[in-house]
Amino acid sequence: MQDVPPSAHPDAPLASATGRRGVSVPDLLVALGVTGLGLLLLLGTFQIPFGINAVVGPRVFPLIVSVGLTALGVLLTVNALRGDRAEPAAEEDTDPNAPVHLEAAGIVLGGFLLGTVLLPTLGFVIGTAIMYFSVALAFGERRWGLMLVVSLLVALVTYEVFTRGLGLNLPPGVLKGII
Amino acid sequence: MDALSALFAGFETALTPINLLWALIGVTLGTLVGVLPGIGPALTVALLLPVTAKLPPVSAFIMFAGIYYGGMFGGSTTSILLNTPGESSSIITALEGNKMARRGRAAAALATAAIGSFVAGTIGTALLTFAAPAIADIAVQIPPSAKFALIMLAFVTISATFGGSPLRGLISLFLGLAVGLVGTDLQSGQARFTLGRPELLDGIDFITVVIGLFAVGETLYVASRLRKDKASVIKLEGNASMNREDWRRSWKPWLRGTALGFPFGAIPAGGAEIPTFLSYTLEKRLTRHPEEFGKGAIEGVAGPEAANNASAAGVLVPLLTLGLPTSATAAILLAAFQQYGLQPGPLLFVTNADLVWGLIASLYIGNVMLLALNLPLAPVWARLLLIPRPFLYAGILVFSTVGVYSLNNSVFDLFLLALFGVIGYGMRRFDFPVTPAIIGVILGPTAESQFRTALQQSNGDFSIFARQPLTAFILVVVALALIVPPILRARAARRAIA
Repeated sequence: MQDVPPSAHPDAPLASATGRRGVSVPDLLVALGVTGLGLLLLLGTFQIPFGINAVVGPRVFPLIVSVGLTALGVLLTVNALRGDRAEPAAEEDTDPNAPVHLEAAGIVLGGFLLGTVLLPTLGFVIGTAIMYFSVALAFGERRWGLMLVVSLLVALVTYEVFTRGLGLNLPPGVLKGII
Repeated sequence: MDALSALFAGFETALTPINLLWALIGVTLGTLVGVLPGIGPALTVALLLPVTAKLPPVSAFIMFAGIYYGGMFGGSTTSILLNTPGESSSIITALEGNKMARRGRAAAALATAAIGSFVAGTIGTALLTFAAPAIADIAVQIPPSAKFALIMLAFVTISATFGGSPLRGLISLFLGLAVGLVGTDLQSGQARFTLGRPELLDGIDFITVVIGLFAVGETLYVASRLRKDKASVIKLEGNASMNREDWRRSWKPWLRGTALGFPFGAIPAGGAEIPTFLSYTLEKRLTRHPEEFGKGAIEGVAGPEAANNASAAGVLVPLLTLGLPTSATAAILLAAFQQYGLQPGPLLFVTNADLVWGLIASLYIGNVMLLALNLPLAPVWARLLLIPRPFLYAGILVFSTVGVYSLNNSVFDLFLLALFGVIGYGMRRFDFPVTPAIIGVILGPTAESQFRTALQQSNGDFSIFARQPLTAFILVVVALALIVPPILRARAARRAIA
């Protein structure tokens, strides 16, 4: 999915004022997603059993939230259909005019999930080292040896500080007895 | 005089060697993490929560106090030397302070920010000392229906009144409220939205949501559109210091900024952004050097930076007296209290007086420590800005993992973290503010419980919300806050066309 940001104008007063350029599909999908989530919540609300002996049962507040979210989602959908589009946030370290690399975000997410899956068996140090390595990779670092050493070192120091210094209980995994 | 004697007792708690040490660790960690780009004060507190897991409550909150103010001090360093505001209340500091630094006046900009923060923080804490007990005395009598109305007011001001799009703010709020619904309903014992997962019976921990939306979301987002050119960090020669002329031009803006910042923090009106902008406008109008504004005027750093820190102190007034957070950072502090089984609010001053006053006393102490840490050590903090981005963001992610995993020692929470990270990415990409979601997660359950308590007391009669005078008044304000801005906007738009 190549997602080129709309020509970002930092001085533009409002996204909606400049954004009448036809319907943006991603924006529409997000708006429909919000609406759909509201409807799912509404469905879930009706599966909550009525409370007994309660003046206000456990259903009332979820009902308010899900109806509210659905209504707001519909409003957002209407706006999206009228051509509103969201301006991507400008953060520290981001360049609003750079091409978007979703694959870099994918590497971060993939590395995180891989580390999470392996964390119980291989242990905390190796699990978080995988996460560290993948973020460094996604951010364009290519000094492989350095990345490997720093990943393991950061993971190990974090583990030692939090387990020995602060008494947290993190899984040692395969390194049990060594660290 | 009551407040004074209580404060002295607080100093007795805070001045023990071990608590001084925790305060010092807190301010140091807070500054350290606050300086790092990409991490604002809210995430600083959330990331450092696990560090305090094994501490007794008093020490933990003394440390939080240090982290809270330290994160604020650290943020100004990043804004001035790197021109990257970590949060909206630092925008002005970045605007004017970075220009000063570019003109070779980095030392003076950092000094006026640090000393101004100290002055504002100290005066703000003094105001807190006397205002909080008085408000707590009144707050005890506020009925549940009015508390519910107050929370509505906080919801609306934080999500709808300010920021670019009220609709997007409200959607963010409702997403947070929805997350807050997950888990066992405490009043009826019914499971809600748990999808049959036992892990969800206790609800979703706010730390998972905060760290997911802020840290993981930020990492994913920055990775996808990383700035390739090297960020230009301005080199700092020597300590942060000011000359006589700087002092002469700074002291009045500090005081005026404080006067603006504190009340804006104390009322539920959306945090520190407004007073910093107001202070900047005010200084621009009063200055004898209008030509320097926009090019690095010291008044434009001194005033807003003071306003920012004074509002940070002001935020603690509704937090401690009403249990009502008016900023994301305050919401996380509130949740931290709840983790210790403490409910901030008027009763906290009665039931946990030693804790509250130890906390307030440590705010004075933390301020002094921060001044001592920031003036001579400014070059040390400045070096942190040079950490290569790949290693910095990788480190943030690993610390996030520790924080979330150590909550329940559960891998399930890490998958939730990834999920909220993806949502956080989407919110940045599609311009939804994150703060309303955080406030919704943390305050939603409280809102529901006050709502239901109010209705139980009235035997299910919904007119309680209209009959109780204070409640009705606040709800009218809420409605106006929702309705008036769009009407004004529409009218302005029509006039622009006509």
